[in-house]
Amino acid sequence: MLTPGRRAAFESAVSANFNDLYRFAYWLSRNRWHAEDVLQESLLRAWRGWAGVREERAVRAWFFTIVRREFYRMRPQFPQGEPQADAIDPAFETDPASSIDMANALRGLADDSREALLMQVLGGFTCAEISAAIGASEGAVMARLTRARQAMRGRLERADLKLARQA
Amino acid sequence: MNCIDLRRLVPIDPARIDPEALAHAARCRSCNDFIEATRATEKLLAATLNVPVPEGLARRAVQRAVQRQGISRRYALAAGLALALGTGVIAYRAKDDPRALAGIDFVVYEEAGAILGAKPADPRDLALVAARIGIRLPVNSDDMRYVGTCPFDGGIAHHVVMKTSFGKVTLLLVPGRTIGSRVVAAAHGLEAVVAPARGGCVVIVADSTRSLTRVESSLYPA
Repeated sequence: MLTPGRRAAFESAVSANFNDLYRFAYWLSRNRWHAEDVLQESLLRAWRGWAGVREERAVRAWFFTIVRREFYRMRPQFPQGEPQADAIDPAFETDPASSIDMANALRGLADDSREALLMQVLGGFTCAEISAAIGASEGAVMARLTRARQAMRGRLERADLKLARQA
Repeated sequence: MNCIDLRRLVPIDPARIDPEALAHAARCRSCNDFIEATRATEKLLAATLNVPVPEGLARRAVQRAVQRQGISRRYALAAGLALALGTGVIAYRAKDDPRALAGIDFVVYEEAGAILGAKPADPRDLALVAARIGIRLPVNSDDMRYVGTCPFDGGIAHHVVMKTSFGKVTLLLVPGRTIGSRVVAAAHGLEAVVAPARGGCVVIVADSTRSLTRVESSLYPA
């Protein structure tokens, strides 16, 4: 039997976090259809466990943890490769060329570095919170974040250099 | 704070730059430029991550999640009824033990919240609890990523998250809850075992049988 209040609270919590969860799933899987599948399974599991959620402030971390876990659980079922047709064009709020370079840099990151970076930027979590969610030490999370930013910066600088040479 | 410290710290979390680093940057032009460049890259990163979300997806996904659980419950009820009517069997022994499943559910749905919401405990207290229930902790304190207490299965458990060579393993030490024999379960891509101990039981949850076996085999003092 569904309790209307329980469902409304769940919908409200999902709604407050959904966009960031979708983007998290998308950048983990780098495929819009896989992201939707991961999110669907994650919400099913979240709804099943919703009755046990006691701390409202921990809900966002809980949702991100479920999405991450579902992604790694479902990933072996996803076809290999990364068809460009299933990738979403980057938002061109800034310079289009830089956005494309940044999207490529993100795709080129190692899984562990990318997930830490996504949890920090999209989730807004601290290194300690990321460490608790992924089961790595805080030092390892810091190292992954530094590696991710160094790799992105290196890639962007190489792209700028290439552009300058072409000009 | 010097230039080297700043360049090491800022890329870890550019949204939370230490006030000492900012104070140093106010006096150091080169470090100030470094922070500005890092912020510009973060702005580009945030804009790139901001991919459009399909319209109405949130509503549809919630609807399907809630409906699918309702449907699976109805199917479970109908299947249970048909089984009882068709075979006359009333007792059904499930392979997955509910106590071990509770351990998996805890890890999937509650562990992150428990870690964020609880005050971490002293690992030395954990050693006393382990001794009281008659087990040996399978790792040294350096491999423990989190030690605390949490509500579990109607009581209080001592919660340990540890890193092993095979990955992350969660242990729940439950004093006073003795069980007759070892029980197991598998769900959500995780495996769990509830191992009996002299003064309680230990729930072990891991993502592989290898981790589970390795940890369980080291619980009992020789």
